[in-house]
Amino acid sequence: MIEQATEAFVLEARELLTELEALFLELEDEVSASRIDEIFRALHTVKGSGSMFGYTALSRFTHHFENAYDLVRSGQLEVERGLIDISLSARDLMVSFLDLGGDGPEAEALLASEDVTRIVNQLSGLTGQSCGEARPDQGGAHAVEPGDATCSPAEPHGLRKFRIKFRPALDALRNGMRPDLLLKELEDLGKTSFELEISAVPRLTELDPTDGLIGWVLEVETPEGREAIEDVFIFADDADLTIEEVSEETPQSDDVANLQAEADQPATPVSRPGAEAIPGTVGTPKQTSTAKSESIRVTSSRLDDMMDALGELVIAQARLEAVCEEVGNSTLETVVEDMQRLVMGLRDATLSIRMLPVESVFGKFRRVVRDLSADLGKDVRLLTEGGETEIDKNVIDRISEPLVHMIRNSIDHGLETAQERADLGKFAQGTVWLSACQEGGEILVSIEDNGKGLDAEAIRRRAIERDLISAEADLNEQDLHQLIFEPGFSTAEVVSSVSGRGVGMDAVKTTIDALGGSINVLSRAGQGTRITLRLPVTMAIIDGLRVRLGESVYVIPLSAVEECVEMDEAENARDSGRSLIQIRDETVPYLELDKLFGQEACPEEGRRVVVVRVDGMRAGLIVDDILGQGQTVIKGLSIYHRDIPGLGGATILGDGRVALIIDVATLIRWAETRRGQGPRKAA
Amino acid sequence: MTNNSMEANRPDLLLIFRLEGEAFALSVSWVHEILDAQPWAPVPNSGPFAPGLINVRGAVVPVIDIRHRLGLPPARSERTGRMIVFEHVIDCVSHKLAFNADSVEQVIECDLASLEPVPPLGTSWPQECLRGVVRNGDELVILLETETTFAPPTEPFVAA
Repeated sequence: MIEQATEAFVLEARELLTELEALFLELEDEVSASRIDEIFRALHTVKGSGSMFGYTALSRFTHHFENAYDLVRSGQLEVERGLIDISLSARDLMVSFLDLGGDGPEAEALLASEDVTRIVNQLSGLTGQSCGEARPDQGGAHAVEPGDATCSPAEPHGLRKFRIKFRPALDALRNGMRPDLLLKELEDLGKTSFELEISAVPRLTELDPTDGLIGWVLEVETPEGREAIEDVFIFADDADLTIEEVSEETPQSDDVANLQAEADQPATPVSRPGAEAIPGTVGTPKQTSTAKSESIRVTSSRLDDMMDALGELVIAQARLEAVCEEVGNSTLETVVEDMQRLVMGLRDATLSIRMLPVESVFGKFRRVVRDLSADLGKDVRLLTEGGETEIDKNVIDRISEPLVHMIRNSIDHGLETAQERADLGKFAQGTVWLSACQEGGEILVSIEDNGKGLDAEAIRRRAIERDLISAEADLNEQDLHQLIFEPGFSTAEVVSSVSGRGVGMDAVKTTIDALGGSINVLSRAGQGTRITLRLPVTMAIIDGLRVRLGESVYVIPLSAVEECVEMDEAENARDSGRSLIQIRDETVPYLELDKLFGQEACPEEGRRVVVVRVDGMRAGLIVDDILGQGQTVIKGLSIYHRDIPGLGGATILGDGRVALIIDVATLIRWAETRRGQGPRKAA
Repeated sequence: MTNNSMEANRPDLLLIFRLEGEAFALSVSWVHEILDAQPWAPVPNSGPFAPGLINVRGAVVPVIDIRHRLGLPPARSERTGRMIVFEHVIDCVSHKLAFNADSVEQVIECDLASLEPVPPLGTSWPQECLRGVVRNGDELVILLETETTFAPPTEPFVAA
């Protein structure tokens, strides 16, 4: 139970930290009160739940961080680049704390480490500077509500004494609450004494040891205010809690709040009446709990298992259909049709679960760009477009590294320094565009910069040096550019820490190839470079058109198919080298698949043309017959067949035979090179 | 290519199969199953090394033309004989592969210490595919070096 709760905390904290990173970066672009509030709430949540789930080191560190943003929130600390720098570093340290998996010698060591000390000093420096008019830790809240000034003690370092009655909710222990950690945190505030309150403990025979029955009556002497104590208990919001100050100076009028929590207003105990003026603060825990009921967390391996099972189901379904056709029983047919509809629905639902907006990776690149531009002393902005485009989670997971690499390349090698740009008459700030869109069955992701572009001559020299091409090779500019994807190629004249290790682009290409995608570079000297990735939307199941070629069956992804027409018999007999057909009032080039696939030509009558669209161009594929369409489970090709152009995988048909899936894009590109128009083999 | 992964799994049991009357052997520990010969789906432009694919209970498995690899004449029919499905590790990734044999005979126990090298002049088969010779009764059995025999061709795809 406790492990589960802790796990949930870690997951939530990670999400919050990801959000924080984005928020800091957004804050740098545009300061808004709602963002600051969100940052403050996220920090507060991590701090509070951290101490409850055995991450006290994290919690203690976050405390300093939170203080700084409390001041920002109250307008006493200005948002400027320095603050964002510190914030991002501090956030990274929080991730490190989280990675250590809770308290222990390692967490303590990190807490005492130089990095942490430096950041804490910087944070305290910030908070210290502006604490002249307010108390260091909670100054913000008070500045907002001048009426509260009465409860700020005249001498900030004088001790105040509080009496706290605290009893966790009955099931709190089962939910992972750790009263011992709360008490320890309280001890950190000052001298603490306590008595046990055991009136609720029943007789041994009736006792459930997992119930929270013990209460505490605590007395704390602390220089801190009431808020500090309330903070300790912030996440024990369903506990029975009373805090009163034991002091002659503080009369009863200082709200001796009965902090018994109400289910629908969990945050009330921590917010002073004045604090409600701050939007959002009150609602935090409530929002979190509603969000939990709307979505559940599932490990992706379970989704993969589900996808595998679905794949098998689709194959079984195809077999069932084949059997049904043989049997020819109308009752069976109805059932099979129903089954098919259900399987289709299940497939769509499963696939949609796995789809994520690309934005989820784009987000992290903002940080990459920011850090890198600072490292390299270049002024760079990142513009993104099409972040809502959805891609299969597995694809996203695997393109994230290559994208980081390409962005690094763009900033390191592509963009000039501000001085160089100014000399060239360019806008001093360089721009990297990251965009995504869907085209047919493919997702296009492109990374573009307005830097100096690729130097074709430097590429040629390097390629010759590395024996990638021969010295006499006659390659046009476009072909030279593609050489950057060859293994062992790197044009960086200065090997920087960022890139230029020479393993870059070919590793990117390998990853993209493995995904069944393709990569292409377009560059113009002095104007910039654009690298486009074409990726399949999903790698698991597609809708496919089954076609026959001689005795073999092939599957063409339906997403690429525009229409099917009959092949003109006169055209079929033509052997002049012309391969164009007229479809309505349009002329479309066509490819004879049997010739491309090296099958013996046995011209059949009544052939069909499957018209596909690739790279915005229409082309016809000549097949012997069209057999039908259906769901196709993609099985990847082995190392023996992976490099054959035009093949995207294999699948198992309803009758148990293996059919190859045609990768229309590579097929047509390859057909173009065969005509001698495209690039020659580099080797 | 190293032989380390083979050395770690010294085969004690060998599966004997025939090609053109000759007895060849493979370590049983790698063999998955033995099926009746079946037609395979040809892979266009695949070259002669791995010309097709078959369905082995839901998995798509490449068919290796072992006759071509050893320089034997093509089989009279691909529908006779047996198909041996085995596990092959390439770069630490296990692949299921299949090849056609004229017949599958028996499993023998064999002490690999008695393995003798194949004299280069003694056969016309590629030397790197042969691990050694063992005796089974009166007959010589050629133990194949699976590592090299089934290694993917090194030349990248060349457009036909």
